[in-house]
Amino acid sequence: MSYVAIKGGKAAIDGAAAATDYMRCKNAVDEPIKLSVIEDQLRLLTSRVVSEGGLYHPKLAALALKQFQGDTLEAAFALRAYRSTKPRLLETPLQDTSNMRCIRRISSAFKDIPGGQMLGATFDYALRLLRLDLANEDPAAFRVVAKNFLRNTPEADLPDSFPKVLDALRAEGLLPPLGLMQDPAFDITRDPLVFPVPRSAALATMARAETGSLLAMAYSNMRGYGDVHPTVAELRVGYLPVMLPHPVTGELMEAGEVLMTECEVVAMYESGNAGDMPVFTLGYGACFGHNEVKAISMAILDRALQKGMRDGPDNPSEDPEFVLLHVDGVDSMGFASHYKMPHYVTFQSDMDRLRTTQGKVRKSGETA
Amino acid sequence: MNIPRNDWPRALCQLNATEIKAVAATLSGDIDVRDVVLPQAGLGLLSLTDGAFHEPFYLGEIPVARAEVILKTAEGHEVQGGCVLVDDRAQLARSIAILDAVLSGKLPGCDVAENLVEKGELLRMQKISERRQILAATRVDFSLLEQEDDEDAE
Repeated sequence: MSYVAIKGGKAAIDGAAAATDYMRCKNAVDEPIKLSVIEDQLRLLTSRVVSEGGLYHPKLAALALKQFQGDTLEAAFALRAYRSTKPRLLETPLQDTSNMRCIRRISSAFKDIPGGQMLGATFDYALRLLRLDLANEDPAAFRVVAKNFLRNTPEADLPDSFPKVLDALRAEGLLPPLGLMQDPAFDITRDPLVFPVPRSAALATMARAETGSLLAMAYSNMRGYGDVHPTVAELRVGYLPVMLPHPVTGELMEAGEVLMTECEVVAMYESGNAGDMPVFTLGYGACFGHNEVKAISMAILDRALQKGMRDGPDNPSEDPEFVLLHVDGVDSMGFASHYKMPHYVTFQSDMDRLRTTQGKVRKSGETA
Repeated sequence: MNIPRNDWPRALCQLNATEIKAVAATLSGDIDVRDVVLPQAGLGLLSLTDGAFHEPFYLGEIPVARAEVILKTAEGHEVQGGCVLVDDRAQLARSIAILDAVLSGKLPGCDVAENLVEKGELLRMQKISERRQILAATRVDFSLLEQEDDEDAE
């Protein structure tokens, strides 16, 4: 492969930057979008960027979305670039997601789960019909929506957190045992993936994977290139309190909270070693922000990859190398985008070789 | 105030940073403030146990700001304060560390700091209450069709 440095074009590149900003601002009657508007009104978009950027910073994610005019791949790229300029101060102690302060919690395995099911804010049961009234939304009406919701909803005496559905299944002996692997977690931001990789590397890679890529891989498994057949034991969205040691007392204190989505799937049961009781298999998905499709896809792929790591892959979605090296949005977007950059030397070389080959064919045709 | 020390930062974080910085600056105006370590802002690696097998993995990174100070009063009394936040504002962490020292050492002006903590805690409780309202409004009791009362026939 041969690349060549190019020069020239500075004025055009500066012009491209100005033109890009012109496109953002050309309608002079519009107001500039406030970051809080992106963060709140486009919360699911912001969620995508925090998870795919691998950095929980909703405000900077909103800024990146504004700067890159809604391009989630570029916004995630900018967030990764930002994080690379920051020092790492600490690694948190292990956080327990059973402490999550849920805003949504459902199970498709059981209709009755300890603590109850709460749909939360979801489009799950909504008709996919355009709400044309939002096209010209009245600001006054907009401002009272939240107020009315809170006024019309009674106060509820609910706990801060809820037990996990899997705990009940495990207590019945229907699940595999806990915690066989206690190796330190793999840090994908510091170490390259060299296969075979531990499960912690797979989980971390998928947690910041591009949603569409992860969904496509998981969908291939769902449609038949795999045999996971999952049931969502629990899907929860909520705020995880981040517990860090107090600098003076050393005791754990709540330093903040992180919105995250978590999904545990139960899949086809298996027998382990001969004589062992068969138990359900499990998959786990989690990501920053509110992104249910991503968490479910990740859980399915986790289960598929466990099989692939143990028995060898039978399908693409069970192949750790195939899955983990192709789901990162920044990596794949970068590769696709690089084809737009000047490849004049390589293409000249291709043309030279083609002309030479054609000449040889022509010559052999003449002599035949 | 019944709020324990470890919960002061999460309460104060609910308030406007400008207000916290202003109160911290006022309360430490006549006190010698020494940084044990320079206030820092950077990242933390968020370490979780997965919900299926309870194995450790990293979900991603979070912004982290931390500060640790020693306040020395005119009488020579020294009190240590500290703070660590999921936030990228080092000076905010320093201001909260100052308030932490004022409160834990019961230094002059600690009543003002207490009011601030209580005000923040009120906002935090309000936020929690709003989240609970979302849950309460959407609590669902699915039932199988054959088990359901014959509501549709009414």
